[in-house]
Amino acid sequence: MSSLKIITLILAASCASSIAAQNSLIGDERALKKHLKQQQLQHLTPEQVVAHGKLLFNAKFTALDGAGRPAATSSEVPVKKQPGISLAMLRTAGPDSNACSGCHNQPGSGGSGEFVVNAFTSSGVTNVDFDSLEPQFSNERGTPHLHGSGLVELLAREMSVDLQQARAQGVAKARASQQSVSVKLTSKGIDFGVLKVSADGFIDVSKIQGVDHDLVVRPFSQKGVFTSLRQFSINAMNAHHGMQSNERWGSQWTNSDDFDEDGFKQELTSGDLTAISIYQASIKTPDQKLPQNPVLKQAALEGEQLFKRADCHLCHTQYLPLKSLSFTEPSPFNTAGNLRPTDGMPVYEYALSNDGLKRDKQGNWLIPVFSDFKRHIIADSEKPHFANERLSQRFIAIDEFISARLWGVGSSAPYGHRGDVSTMMQAILHHGGEARDSRIKFEGLSDLERRKIVEFLKSLQLSLDEERS
Amino acid sequence: MMNRQKTILCGLLLGAAPAFAVQSPNMHEETQWSGIAHQYTGGWEYFVGGGVAAFDCNNDQYPELFFAGGASHAALYINQSSLGGSLKFAKKSDSNLSLDAVTGAYPLDIDNDGILDLAVLRVGENILFKGKGNCQFENANQQWQFEGGSAWTTAFAAMWEGENTKPSLAFGNYVDRSKPGSPFGTCHDTDFYRPDGQGRYLANTPLSPGFCSLSLLFTDWNRSGSPSLKIANDRQYYRGEGQEQLWKIPLGEKPVRYSAQEGWRRQRIWGMGIAATDLTGDGKPEYYVTSMADNKLSTLASQDGKPSFNDIARLRGVTAHRPFVGSSVLPSTGWHAQFDDVNNDSFSDLYVVKGNVEAMSDFAMQDPNNLFLGTPAGTFIESAERSNMLSLHRGRGGSLVDLNLDGLLDVVVVNRQENAQIWRNLGTGTADQRAAMGNWLALKILQPEGSNRNAIGAFIEVRVADRTQSREITVGGGHAGDKAHWHHFGIGVAERAVARVQWPDGKWSPWIRLFANQHARISRDKSTADTWLPFVSAVKH
Repeated sequence: MSSLKIITLILAASCASSIAAQNSLIGDERALKKHLKQQQLQHLTPEQVVAHGKLLFNAKFTALDGAGRPAATSSEVPVKKQPGISLAMLRTAGPDSNACSGCHNQPGSGGSGEFVVNAFTSSGVTNVDFDSLEPQFSNERGTPHLHGSGLVELLAREMSVDLQQARAQGVAKARASQQSVSVKLTSKGIDFGVLKVSADGFIDVSKIQGVDHDLVVRPFSQKGVFTSLRQFSINAMNAHHGMQSNERWGSQWTNSDDFDEDGFKQELTSGDLTAISIYQASIKTPDQKLPQNPVLKQAALEGEQLFKRADCHLCHTQYLPLKSLSFTEPSPFNTAGNLRPTDGMPVYEYALSNDGLKRDKQGNWLIPVFSDFKRHIIADSEKPHFANERLSQRFIAIDEFISARLWGVGSSAPYGHRGDVSTMMQAILHHGGEARDSRIKFEGLSDLERRKIVEFLKSLQLSLDEERS
Repeated sequence: MMNRQKTILCGLLLGAAPAFAVQSPNMHEETQWSGIAHQYTGGWEYFVGGGVAAFDCNNDQYPELFFAGGASHAALYINQSSLGGSLKFAKKSDSNLSLDAVTGAYPLDIDNDGILDLAVLRVGENILFKGKGNCQFENANQQWQFEGGSAWTTAFAAMWEGENTKPSLAFGNYVDRSKPGSPFGTCHDTDFYRPDGQGRYLANTPLSPGFCSLSLLFTDWNRSGSPSLKIANDRQYYRGEGQEQLWKIPLGEKPVRYSAQEGWRRQRIWGMGIAATDLTGDGKPEYYVTSMADNKLSTLASQDGKPSFNDIARLRGVTAHRPFVGSSVLPSTGWHAQFDDVNNDSFSDLYVVKGNVEAMSDFAMQDPNNLFLGTPAGTFIESAERSNMLSLHRGRGGSLVDLNLDGLLDVVVVNRQENAQIWRNLGTGTADQRAAMGNWLALKILQPEGSNRNAIGAFIEVRVADRTQSREITVGGGHAGDKAHWHHFGIGVAERAVARVQWPDGKWSPWIRLFANQHARISRDKSTADTWLPFVSAVKH
């Protein structure tokens, strides 16, 4: 065969291939046209990784992406549905949305959502679709914003390290002394109770406060029960969209490449999950925007002091110090079912923005998060509103929630874990339990002083990414 | 025709895709530098036996290993490993456990002092050794008024009955060599000892007839609250009515064999070892009994509490009746068996130690041990070779036990006339960098008041989402050896689980909340579990 013929054949094949590729785009209804491998990420710019994560966050997944889970439930572990008719989409048991941004959309992608986009956690029901709003089947949850989430996860990781180091030191001391040892658990100035370590090294965990017994600070969800953005994303992708990640529903755990039996394998790769985690981690940190009106501005400034006078800051801690802004993915606190640093894949490192952050004398970044990252009992018989559900969630009683992070509270109405409180004033007045004393102090302020606190809280704002530039 | 060819080609291509999805652990054989150099040796009496007991005797929670030696001396190896590190052991040269004629051993806390004791089985006098701490033991036969006999003992089980301060003990004996016509049809009775009010073992109740038992297990097979004694018997030597046995053990009364009229179905196999766990999710144990050729997996068939069992070994893929490598089609010879979760995916796996009796030419000589990985469908997939655990020695006893406390079960095998072997479970990692598999729990169950501290006879339930793993705490089974260590549960991708205990008296604990990848102790007097952190290294002596 002559060279000319060969070239002609190659060109013809190339053209045919190109035409075929273009033809394949015609009528393509996939929302996600490419997946990333974890190994690829280090060869991309941070902007490209964030862009892929944003694409995933905003994508309205279709059946052609693998959306839907006809044979699987919303459970966080692989659970098959009981046989029977199953709706493709269902507002209660899910899949209940097409895109993450379908709910997290105020003031923009990654923001909060109002009551109409509430979700239903299914701790009590794992193997059937519940089509009822009856609270015996699920807890209803408002949609929180995700601004500053990377900083939140890093704070939690550092706190977990502190607490676990204190535990290890206590155990070593008890063993060395052959005597029982009490270990005070504190991190970043927050008191998490006490461990009692026996001489034999066994640890009584019954006096731990506000954090799980494994001393992992789990900052995400209103209960404070999810460790990492990745873990939450994996759960949410399945529950809300029926997009199952290989890390959780893959063949190594289920002996199946298509656990949800929708005809699609590898619906989300590890690279995809890293990208969507990085995107959420990168969403602009909330900040304070004082009113232009000088009267309102002065009220907000005074409100900040009154906020402290009412002891609100004891749980809604204004600043927590953070040592490093280096966000590594996956989290060292991930467990099986979420990519772990030891799983043999490269760890991706992303530098979080220090935009608007102050530093303390030790060089720590001061994160204006307005939370102590600790769970508290927040309701009592006098003020029962926040205990308005039936099911404990991931071991946490119905009256206990992590201190809400108030950064961005001025632009993330409605309030409360169910999103059923329309004003901040109402939300404050619903505080009971451990917050009772503080609420009484708030109630003891004059009407104007109380409104100044609200004015202060209104100044804690979310900003769109575009505003940063 | 073309289409047919295409179909075949596609089929071949599909066949080339990995059909095996459940993750195999990477097992790293570390025998050579582990410090363990031990063989089970001897003549005909030591064709059977060869057990290993895995238990902590110096209070660092790193399990020691006591190997039966047969004609050679038994040996206690002190665990000197470090957390997650290479497996290191040192032989305790001055131990009074270094006896000859030992066929196996079972650890348990007979006198309830919180220190594990050891029941040592022998060709000759059996000995109950009292643990004194720091891996020191003393012969307690005289102290506890236990007459060790002179039989050829090959099996053991124990349980606590009622309020007794000490356990009831059963010693399974093999051939009675003193009887005329031995060895065929001359099986020895099983010896059953109940403690008296002062904790003395004065009375031995022979469970007759004996059919040459090679494994015993007290087990509450129907969750009636009254355990029975399950006996695996070797048809090689019994005659006539010989068969597998199940004995009722009424509290304070003489044991009685279950009969055909009561639903018991006769099964005649070369019963060698018993493993038990709940595979069907009904809370009742299934029983795997090793044999020559087909091994059996029994599940309770009756709904009315009668001891009628169906064999589901073939259905579940665990007949393991011939070697899975090599060209031999001759049947296998199975010995020790144990259910446990080696890849922590929450589905129980099964380890079966195999090896020709000695030189039985009708049976495979190259007979590798099986590592069956459980799947979500309830079936099992052979994985020993994939896990780098291919061994063609004549295996006998064994143990799946976490020797370096990293949450991954390691493997020990006792071989006849060859060195014992030991594998470190590296998870999905390498010898340089181990990597975890699924999440896990390691539980201790404690009754701090009264007798039976370690709650022998209790059932542990671990629940994640809609699935509950159930396991009975027993002393016995396997082949001539057992472990007394953390109760290990793989929980797959679950970050947390709840567990409860049905105590030996039938009462239930509350559901206890547990987080993944921790050692935890559930005590009868507490509603939260105490957690525990491993020492960085084991105590060296």
